[in-house]
This record gives sequence, structure tokens and C-alpha cells, in this order.
Amino acid sequence: MFVSERMSTDLITVEPDITIFEAKSLMTDKNIRHLPVVDSQGKLIGIVTDRDMRDAMPSTLLKKVDYEITLGKIMNYPISDIMTKDPMTIYAYFTLQDTLLVMQQKKVGALPVIDDQGYLKGILSTRDLLSAFVNVMNIDEPGSLLCIIAKAQTGEMKKIVDIITEENISLGSMLVARFWDKEKRAIFPYLLTNNVISVKRKLLDKGFELIDPMKWYLDQVPQKSD
Amino acid sequence: MKKTGLVYDDRYLMHVTGGYHPESPERLKAIHKRLSESGLIEKLIPIEAEKANQRWIETVHNIHYIMQFEEACISGFPEFEHPDNAICRDTYAIAFLAVGGVLKAIDAVMNGDVDNAFCAVRPPGHHAEVDKPMGFCYFNNVAIGARYLQEQYGIERVGIIDFDVHHGNGTQHIFDKDPSVFYYSIHEHPSFAYPGTGREFEVGVADGNGYTVNSPVLPGKGDDEYRKMIMQDLVPAFKKFDPEFILLSAGFDAHIDDLMSGTNLTTDGYDFVSEVIMNLVNRCSKGRVVSVLEGGYNLDVLPLLVENHIKIMAGMR
Repeated sequence: MFVSERMSTDLITVEPDITIFEAKSLMTDKNIRHLPVVDSQGKLIGIVTDRDMRDAMPSTLLKKVDYEITLGKIMNYPISDIMTKDPMTIYAYFTLQDTLLVMQQKKVGALPVIDDQGYLKGILSTRDLLSAFVNVMNIDEPGSLLCIIAKAQTGEMKKIVDIITEENISLGSMLVARFWDKEKRAIFPYLLTNNVISVKRKLLDKGFELIDPMKWYLDQVPQKSD
Repeated sequence: MKKTGLVYDDRYLMHVTGGYHPESPERLKAIHKRLSESGLIEKLIPIEAEKANQRWIETVHNIHYIMQFEEACISGFPEFEHPDNAICRDTYAIAFLAVGGVLKAIDAVMNGDVDNAFCAVRPPGHHAEVDKPMGFCYFNNVAIGARYLQEQYGIERVGIIDFDVHHGNGTQHIFDKDPSVFYYSIHEHPSFAYPGTGREFEVGVADGNGYTVNSPVLPGKGDDEYRKMIMQDLVPAFKKFDPEFILLSAGFDAHIDDLMSGTNLTTDGYDFVSEVIMNLVNRCSKGRVVSVLEGGYNLDVLPLLVENHIKIMAGMR
């Protein structure tokens, strides 16, 4: 779960003196939302997002003539005028969990990855992160999700895994979540099978409760401070 | 009352899946027993199944895949690519017989021997991809039927309605670029149920865009939700597409008593599904419909649900 394994390394970059016009065409052609700006040595000096680009455009409320005159002027400015200088960066040895938290807290859509000398090595976007988590949860493989309520005590998870193993079912992923009853946990094994009848029966026989997933509301679980 | 055909053959029981597999020969035995005991079987026109010509299977499946399947069975392997797909030495031949049963039912409808037909066949088919067995399925019976209708009978627009509780990933993928086959499926939401496809935004690809419609039903929901989605998603789409022939992937595992799923469709809810479909069939495809068994694993309710479905097809209810 490291950034190095998930970042895009097939990079499209520009130097700071390129015009806004050129940068805009490049982002449109390559269908990218984040354009890293590097110096002639390849060191990261800034980043331009599609949002920066939109902010730089003249208001669409202007009259057509005025719009085009203004646009013409803007398009010839260098990209360095609108880029975010010294953007937030991460290192290739960061974990994806680190990145998830950074993106959530700093509200950024992509993070350039640099090495210790500041050279650009890659870029990691929310899209890359999403595909990593799709992969971790294994939801791109055919399977079925069970929703089990278990006592919050040692050994419950083992019982569940044992039953799944006895049924010769391969486990795609298993999420554990807090439940509104503090003494219990909600457990969501994603089973890579269509065949869930006997595993469900065995779980019920062992005293587990299978719940209707619609009855599991995130907003009803106790808050962290509880 | 309509002339309704029935495909059933004892040889379908020869696909043996091992002691604990839900897709067992007992399913068909139970269905056959009920149809016999209730006397319904005497009112149906028997259609004799025969092995399909491989040529028709190749209209959907890759030849190498067909050969791998044969090899897995001949070699006596207990499963084909995944523990879900239990096989025995006879499975390969019986899978040909399942396809063949569907093709014979289509012949019978097209020749006017019957008005419509139900195929009590196994193994089921709707999960089978071009080159991959999945979810107890090896050959996609319904997809092959659709191609057969087009190539053998020159039918231009085939409508497929899949009401098995699982999404028919195979059928969808086989036709997702094809505007001549409309695939509609109602199933338990893919975030909870196998195989994890059939989300609302899967609507067909390229030329086939708009010719796939999926109605995912959240677990815990039942008759009301089915009613709402079928009226809102299926009925207008099929009236517009105006299929000349309709094929059904008939799965009875959405029932509240079927532990395979989390949906709560009742016996009455199933009747509603069959009735709406028969109204569509009468309106669009001159009554031409072949219904093919897919899932349904609770042996206490499956036979009744099949019987009710056939009765509604036959206009007896």
C-alpha cells in the first residue's frame, strides 16, 4: 500500500514559461486535471489544476467581443502566473493511507510525488487512490457481501473466518465497523462466490446475527468521542 | 388458454454438483414432481430436448473455452475454474442438452406448435461469459437462444428479461454493444449480491448504449420495489424497443424464503412479475416468449413459483 506502486509515472509536465494557451490545450488533449510545472532540471516548482485554469478565464458574462479580447490577452500569460507555487507534495515511500488522510484534510485532488532532492517522480490523484481501494476491497471481482453482527470480543472473527474456510470460499475482503450497540461489531466479509446459502446457515447456527444491510446506518454508530 | 410447451428431460439430473451445492438436481426433481402431482404437466405440450449443434454455442462462446470445458469434464475435475462451478463427467454433454432444450423451445414457438414455452433446464446460463464459467453457469442458454433467433429465423429485435435475483453479467456483456438485443435485468443490488455488476449506470456500450437497463433492488426490499422498478424501467423501455421475440432468464431466488438473496419478493410478487411480462409479450412480440430457468434454491418454494409462472404463461390464471 505504498504511493510508489500506485502513482502515475507516465508524466506530462510543462516549464513555467509556457503560455496559458499551450497549457490549456495540453490539459484538454491529454484529458488531465493536474499539470505539474517543473524547471529545466526537472525539479517541481508548481502545479496547475483545471480549477486554476477556469479561475483564470474571463467571465462568460462579458460581451462576446470583450470576452475574446480579454481571453486573447490572458492566453499569452505564462503559466507561472497562475500556478500554485511550492505545492503540497508527498514521497513515493508514503503509504496510501497517509495520502488518503492528506487529501481528506487538505482538500486536494492530486499530489505530486517528489524525491529527496525535489525532482518530480510521479503524481497520485484521487482516481489512483480510488482504484487502489477498489482493488483492496476486491469489489471488481464477482462476489457477495455478508453483514454479520458479532459480539465485540476476542475470537468472534476467527469463528467467522473458520466457517468461510470450511465452505472453501475465498475471501475478497473483510471490513469491520462499529455498531450502535457498543458491545457489538458489524462485520462485512466480501465472499468471492455466488454460493452463500450454507455459509449463512452455519453462521446463524453459531449464533451470529445476519442483518439487513439497509438497517446499518453510519450515522447511528457511536461517535469516536463516546 | 394458450398452448404452452415444457422442456424437461431426466438427463438434466445427470449434471451432478456434489452433496452440498445449491444448484443441485433436486431442484429439477422437485419442479417436475410438483408439475406432475398438480396435473399441470398434462396440460402442457412436451418439447423433447436434444443436444445443441455446437455451431450455435459458438455464436456466443469462444471455441477454446468450449474445449477447455470439455477437457475439465472429461478429466473428471470437480470444478471448472472456480469452486462455484461444480462439474462431473456428464456436465459438458448436459450443458449442450440445456442449450438444445432452449433452441427446441424456440423452434416450437416459431413453427407455431406452441404459443410459448418454459424450459426446466440446468445447468443455468446467465452468468456465463464468452470465455468464462461463472456462478454455476457454463453456456449462456438465453444468449445463445437470442443469437439463434436472429440467425435461424431472421428475428431482428430480441428482448431479454432477466428476473433472477443475481445480475446476468454474461448476457449483459455478450450484448452490451448490440442494439438488436435489449437486455433488462432486475436483481439484488450488486454491492451486496453476486456478481457485483448490474449497476444503474450500466446502460450499454457504443452502439448498444441505451439497450441495457438494470434495476438494482436493495436488500430487504420486496414486492413494492419490484412493482415500482418494473413499471418504471422495464415496461416503457420494452414498449419503445418493441421486441419481436422475448426470452426470459427466470430465476426464483429473489423470494423472501430463499437464503441465497436478501430481497423479499413474495409469491404474489412473483405472480405480478410474470403477469406484467406476459402483458408485454402479448403486446410486443405477438405472444412469443420462451422462459428459461436460471436460479431458485429453496426447494420448498421453487416448485410452486415455477408452477405459478407457467400457469400465467398459459393464461390459466
